[in-house]
Amino acid sequence: MKIPKTHSPIIKIAKYTLTDEVRQKSFIVMFIICALFIFLIRGCYQGNFIVNGQALDAEAVIRVMSKVTFHFIAVGVMFLAALLSMRVFRRDRDDGTQSCILSKPITRGQYVAGKIIGLWALSIIFMFILHGIVFIITSINLQIIMPEYLLASLICSFNLLFVIVTVLLLSLLMPDIVAFLCVMGIGIIGSVADGIFAISNSQMAQTIIPPSSTLSGLTGWKAAYYLWPKLLSTQQFAASLIGREGFPELGSMYPIINVFTYSLILGILLFRRFRNENII
Amino acid sequence: MIELNVATKRYGSLVAVDNVSFTVEAGEYFALLGPNGAGKTTIVRMLLNFTKPTSGSLSINGIPCANAASRAAIGYLAENNHIPPYLTGWQYLIRCAELLDINRYDAINQCKRVVGLIGMHGREDTKVNTYSKGMIQRFGIGAALIGNPNLLILDEPTAGLDPIGIREIRQLLESLKDQGLTIFLNSHLLSEVEKICDNAAIINRGRLLVKDKISAIVKDGETLEDVFVRLVKG
Repeated sequence: MKIPKTHSPIIKIAKYTLTDEVRQKSFIVMFIICALFIFLIRGCYQGNFIVNGQALDAEAVIRVMSKVTFHFIAVGVMFLAALLSMRVFRRDRDDGTQSCILSKPITRGQYVAGKIIGLWALSIIFMFILHGIVFIITSINLQIIMPEYLLASLICSFNLLFVIVTVLLLSLLMPDIVAFLCVMGIGIIGSVADGIFAISNSQMAQTIIPPSSTLSGLTGWKAAYYLWPKLLSTQQFAASLIGREGFPELGSMYPIINVFTYSLILGILLFRRFRNENII
Repeated sequence: MIELNVATKRYGSLVAVDNVSFTVEAGEYFALLGPNGAGKTTIVRMLLNFTKPTSGSLSINGIPCANAASRAAIGYLAENNHIPPYLTGWQYLIRCAELLDINRYDAINQCKRVVGLIGMHGREDTKVNTYSKGMIQRFGIGAALIGNPNLLILDEPTAGLDPIGIREIRQLLESLKDQGLTIFLNSHLLSEVEKICDNAAIINRGRLLVKDKISAIVKDGETLEDVFVRLVKG
């Protein structure tokens, strides 16, 4: 199949982005540390846990452990994607890559699209490999193959897209480190809000605080809560697929739609902003 | 080939380029001269659409510079040219060829030819971070020659080079004359320009002072430097 000419530079720029990042020593070190960490905790997947002289259900323990590790990896790779994205435009400016590419018959849109795709592909591969290691260890220990674990990993890639697009956009507007911290802030606020929401909806909270007095005047807060980027909820939705039989109800897919919509809007803003950027 | 039509660029209250109009014909060796901060690099950046003009228009081969197609047959060497330090010179040239959609076989052939042309045979497989400034400039010019462009835009190609490096680059540019290229040279090294170029424009504070053949600008008993100083100092 012949690749259309419009897509060809995008794919090449994506390829260069990916290979240039992999060449960085810091990336290699981070990858080795993450892979080693996953290997070192492989003992947790043995399932031979005894509490008060009673052996626990090995399968249940392994499932819980694999879910916990799943969340750790997903959050860790989001952090890494933000770190990689925050310096991409600056590095391209400094090492002449940006002026080299844009002095060719390549549009700014193609350049930005190539950068996003390259970073996204790299982050997905990174996360998929780490999740894949856990998947293999779990499959060997449980002697059950859980393909939904890998599906869940792919669902988390929506979060990575959000992080990459947001950091790239913000890095055009503010110092790189501030852009990175802003995106971390979005993630942390979302997680705290999810926690508060979960607690306020718990049975215990409903008992302590009468329903009539709660949230009636807080519709604005509720709206803000639902509209806030749902990074953790997307991750929880993905994790909920692990061990589940059948497809979840459509309503529970709201976090994915939320994150994808944000990625789309911020992506459009990024393309518009970069179109007016002065190339140095 | 290149046309600037009342091009103006303002940065806030600063007018970097002020209603500049001129044309550069195919096959010309053209120099844009001016003191530091005169607006030379801004004109180059507008030609490459790195920055947009506040008013006026610029075109290359009749295509507005805002259109990426206008850069289809351009080779460009940036002022203070940089090359990713983790690449080898060869990888950099191949990358430039791939970005121009040149197939692998032609890319290799073109890169081999260019390596010979810039006199870097035997050094192309070492990492860029081991290169001298002159070598980086040579590979920058080599990259600009990939794709057989008919226009070379060189922004201060001898900046930061020692006298030997300057001479090497000058000889390289002179050797390109036979290839029928159009060269748009942005420089303030007047002695070099006088040796290489046929036509020149002098700008100061964003305004075009003169644009003509160098032989017409420089009167008998004068050098280009004398004319430059006279025009710039007013």
